Amino acid sequence: MRFRYRPFQAAVIGLLAALITACAAFAPLYDRAMRQALSDIVIDQTPPALSGLQASAAYTQQGGFGFHEQAPPPPPDVVLSKIPPDLRAHYRDPIAGYTAAVTKNPAGPADPGSNLVWRDGECEHLELVDGVCPSRPGEIVVSEADVDNFGFTTGTTFTVAGIPRNAEGGGHATPTNVHLTVTGVYRQVPSDYWFGLLLTGRSGTTDPLPPNHLQADVWLTSRKTFESRRLPTFPQETSTVALPLDREAVGVDDLLTIGTAIDELEKHPSAISGATVTYLSGMSDLAQNVRDQTDQSRVTVPLLMAQLGLLAVVVLWLVLLAVTEQRRPEVALARLRGRGRRGARRLLAGELLPVALAGVVPGVLLALLGTWFARTAVLPGDAPFELRTPLLYAVLIAVGVLTLVTVLAVVRVSREPVVTLLRRVPPRRTGWSLGVADALVIAGCGGVVVVFATGGLDGPIALAAPGLLAIVVGLVLAHLTTPTAALVGGRLLRGGRVRAGVSVVDAARSPATRRIVAIVTLATALSVFSADALLVGDRNRASAAEQQAGAPVVAEVTGVDVLAVRAALADVDPDGTLATPVVRTVPANNTARVTVAVIPDQFRRIALFPGGGPSDEVWKRLRAPDTAPIALTGEHVDLTLTDSSLRSQRVGGDPQPITFGVDLEVVDTGETLHVALGDIPKPAKTVHLSSDVSCSAGCNLTGIWLGTLPGATMSGHATVGALTTGDDSIPLGPSGQWNGFQDASEGSIQADEGSSPDDFVLRVDGRGASQLSMSQAWVPGQLPALVAGSLPPGSAENRFTLSGLDGEDQPAARAGTIERVPAAAPQTSVVNLDLAERGTELAPTDRVSVWLANEDPALLAEVRDALADHHVRMAAIRKLSDVRESYDESAAAWSLQLAALIGAAALLIALLVLVVSAVSSWRFRTRDLAALRMAGVPRRSIDRMSVVAQLPAVVIGVVAGTAVGLYGAQLALPIVPLFAEDPLVSTLDLDVAWGAVLVAALAALVVLGLGAVLIGRAMARRSELRILREGAL
Amino acid sequence: MTVTSAVTTTGMRVSTSRLVHIYRSEGHEVAALSGVDLDVPAGGMVGLLGPSGAGKSTLLNLLAGVFRPSAGKIFVGGLELSAASDRQLDGMRAQDVSLMLQGAHRNLLPYYTPYENVRFAQGAARRAGKDVPDPDEVLDQVGLADDAHEPLASLTPGHLQLAALAVAMAPRPGLLLADEPTSQLDHPARDRVLERMSVVNRELGTTVVLVTHDPDVAAYLPRTITIRDGRVGGEGRSGEEYAVITPDGFLPLPLHIREELAPGTLVRFHRNEDGDFVLLTEEGHHHG
Repeated sequence: MRFRYRPFQAAVIGLLAALITACAAFAPLYDRAMRQALSDIVIDQTPPALSGLQASAAYTQQGGFGFHEQAPPPPPDVVLSKIPPDLRAHYRDPIAGYTAAVTKNPAGPADPGSNLVWRDGECEHLELVDGVCPSRPGEIVVSEADVDNFGFTTGTTFTVAGIPRNAEGGGHATPTNVHLTVTGVYRQVPSDYWFGLLLTGRSGTTDPLPPNHLQADVWLTSRKTFESRRLPTFPQETSTVALPLDREAVGVDDLLTIGTAIDELEKHPSAISGATVTYLSGMSDLAQNVRDQTDQSRVTVPLLMAQLGLLAVVVLWLVLLAVTEQRRPEVALARLRGRGRRGARRLLAGELLPVALAGVVPGVLLALLGTWFARTAVLPGDAPFELRTPLLYAVLIAVGVLTLVTVLAVVRVSREPVVTLLRRVPPRRTGWSLGVADALVIAGCGGVVVVFATGGLDGPIALAAPGLLAIVVGLVLAHLTTPTAALVGGRLLRGGRVRAGVSVVDAARSPATRRIVAIVTLATALSVFSADALLVGDRNRASAAEQQAGAPVVAEVTGVDVLAVRAALADVDPDGTLATPVVRTVPANNTARVTVAVIPDQFRRIALFPGGGPSDEVWKRLRAPDTAPIALTGEHVDLTLTDSSLRSQRVGGDPQPITFGVDLEVVDTGETLHVALGDIPKPAKTVHLSSDVSCSAGCNLTGIWLGTLPGATMSGHATVGALTTGDDSIPLGPSGQWNGFQDASEGSIQADEGSSPDDFVLRVDGRGASQLSMSQAWVPGQLPALVAGSLPPGSAENRFTLSGLDGEDQPAARAGTIERVPAAAPQTSVVNLDLAERGTELAPTDRVSVWLANEDPALLAEVRDALADHHVRMAAIRKLSDVRESYDESAAAWSLQLAALIGAAALLIALLVLVVSAVSSWRFRTRDLAALRMAGVPRRSIDRMSVVAQLPAVVIGVVAGTAVGLYGAQLALPIVPLFAEDPLVSTLDLDVAWGAVLVAALAALVVLGLGAVLIGRAMARRSELRILREGAL
Repeated sequence: MTVTSAVTTTGMRVSTSRLVHIYRSEGHEVAALSGVDLDVPAGGMVGLLGPSGAGKSTLLNLLAGVFRPSAGKIFVGGLELSAASDRQLDGMRAQDVSLMLQGAHRNLLPYYTPYENVRFAQGAARRAGKDVPDPDEVLDQVGLADDAHEPLASLTPGHLQLAALAVAMAPRPGLLLADEPTSQLDHPARDRVLERMSVVNRELGTTVVLVTHDPDVAAYLPRTITIRDGRVGGEGRSGEEYAVITPDGFLPLPLHIREELAPGTLVRFHRNEDGDFVLLTEEGHHHG
């Protein structure tokens, strides 16, 4: 009944109550939905081998050199029994199996070794190219590659060694051979059934582990091979049971439960009759991943929702104050009728509390609707909708808050003396004064903000710091606004500026002014903070993705034939604007410095440098020196030394010939040749040296070296003339073409000026080094490098040693610094590929990749084809969009997306406050305006005054809110998790997203300013003269 | 019209002694009442007259226990209000004293019908154990039986005032205090409200003290007390205006006499042959 009398007020209170409830209820619902989405993604993206559980039982060797009379491992059924039933319930039917390591007798270097495997139901997951599935003990099927490599065919029989049995009476163990018969040839059908087991791919390769025999693909056999009593146990025989995860049935809680259970299993391995049972599963890590990300979401979601909730609570409080203020006569009446304060409270609470609590149900529905939208539009996966206990707690908290706020507002009015309640116009303050409640709020909130800003606070309260700061500023500003407006208005009136003066005085008189300033400040601050947080998060994810990806597309290629790769890219993109090769050394350990060799002009165009890369000037420092290589073509070289005093002495003083050699690089292949041209036994006037070389297609002379025995000295000099290949004479001078070498302990080798520009004098002073060499000037003596991170220990000024592309240490000089190297570790050096590959051969461990400037599939296909034409295969492909997606599909990103909702909701709430304020004060405001009209003020002026009365408060609130939002973002963003896991190379940038801030502030100004203007006009329209008559009645 | 009720009312005597009320306004202390002595017998009907700001409404609020006096004593029935606790005052207002505020709307909960308003006004008395009449009966007594369940918005100003009267009479109080109950009403409505109040006073024995500016209303009342400058300035009985000698012997002169006698004029009382007192000035003028 009473609600119907004031439906608008009831609707507003109900709406705010619904919003508060929705804020409280949405947090656990969204959190749950995120966790579900997270677990779905995690499970979906995890290969079955990791999401499943594999248990293996085997006897481990306990000392000694031999192994014999070993019992077979417990059967798979027994192994399965060691897995707790609760855990097994999450998995589909187990796949039993056995494995063993066997080698074809007599186990010579050419006899292949293989894994003998049985898996339950294996033949249903094979394509039998020939023969039949093994069914009897000793029967196997082999791969097609084994047929090709080892000549196995259906019907082939051979033996492998089993575990020797102890001889009766304690004599020597008896070798036991097992006959294996090939019954067929298989082709593996890839499926989840195999748990990532690759049956083929090893045939014909050499086992990297001693005794380095040849390897065959997996030999699949029957169960009976392992369980037949007639056959011995095989080496490393292991019984296994693989349990595929029941992905459809496993929810987020199950994931965490499974993770914990597997953790326990792994920590406490069990044993069956002495055989150790081991477990393999990635679920423990997956569960931890979900847990970590969930913890992150528990920071961001409350951070945003709590502040929106705080805003809604503050607004509800203000609305309730206005509403209870309006009920003063009713409260007075209750008091006059002898109901006392309690009766007055009951009267008010009886009306307001049901309305507030009626908002709970729609609030829950709103939260459910929001969660449904988030599940549909934001979060991936299709996990079932769940209503859980945390939702109940959240609703109870909302009910508690609503009850508390309503009761406080009711008590505030009902405790006033009757005489105060009876006053037609409640006492209002126009000067500076602060109520106890406001003072407490300002002191409390301000205290929290100060403690937080000085780093003394974290946890849930810290999350509300931006909101609390906005409350403090909003309240202080609100209290300052009224007296200031009164002062300014008075001056304007005294100065004769009636229109402006009346508007400002009207604003000062209106209790709504304070309310509007406070709420607009809070809402704008929240809006600005949310926009900034959203964009900063987005920018950081984009930067992290760019840093991790390196380029829009990065395609790793197999092998290290960088010349072929470059040739392929030259076919596709001669200018190097779309594709560029990159070579990366693989460090020996995680802390070692990585070397990335690039073509600078191409790399700086194609690679992504979040936050900006080095300037062109810096890149130019990596350019190759302007020296031509010494090229030669032929299969034989001759060299004559003149005036040679070169000699070498062994430690005992005996003379030792010096070996004179050259380093050559084959132009086409990049292969390096270390060629000895001959020995120089003693000083001589003329020394003729010659050797055959593989340079028919052309070589570059990259170095000259002298060698002797380790510990022997070398000394002397010789004039080096021209090198001849066939009819060609290639001068090796002048001396400037050569980079000498000098080391305090090893000695020196230098090139001095000769008698003509075509020759030079070689001087050597070896102090025990077995070889001293100097490189041709085309080969850099020191690689210029751009350095990310600090130089390694032992570096002198800018000189340091990096890992060359050949895996050897390479002297380098820091030509500049680079903040981060795309797709590389923090400690990375960037060198010029053209320089780095001179005179060296890439180490097999190097990684060669092609970086593309865009994700155009056509470009990728073109590059792939070009590489194939040069016999290079594209391996893994990394796309920026995929990397970005992996960052975006995280609880951290999903949490921050709430910011958009929060910002918009905050502005709408503030708009609601403007409307409520107007509605609750329209009577006396329209009466004032009507009085002005009665006094002859023109209608247009009244319109303008009515509009201007509200607008300054809105503008002040927006400006203050923007400033507070910016500062709040600076305070709170460092505690907001932006990533599921911090990237290896930090690109963290918490600078203000000015664009977003500007848009949010403008949105606040437009929405609220326009609202104020429309409300002002509506007021002016209603200020008819009849209002005055109504007031008189 | 005769009021009949199963619930009886005992009128309450109201008296004040040297009543002083001072309030603060814009930093200054203002004496609204400065030594009011008043005595209204149980079942009496008295109008408080006087110019604006004389202290009439203040006196009414003091009698209702809304204000606490700065000095002096107020007795309502057996209760000395200046010494009463809040709970006692609540109890008094619940059962014995009703205050009708100026303006009908201020006495009514806007979302209730007259019936519901009356019922609401009886709540505290009922809870205190007082036997209260049925709301319909109360409304019937004031002539609003037909409008008992109509929304307030549909009632005329006169009917609204009657509804306010019904609400005030809901707990069958011993004292009805009414602040300008007939202001903003047209004459028929005014007369009707006065007639109802008079009936209530006469039939139920309720003591009625009302504030009015209206000379017609004053003329209707058997007794009026004029408050002037915070004191009892005179009293009217059956149309005759009297000056009232205060307990400490002061005699506030009627306004028209004060206009004739300048401050500082010397006067003396003289009893004439008929035994009446005559006021003589030093110059020999006399005022009968």
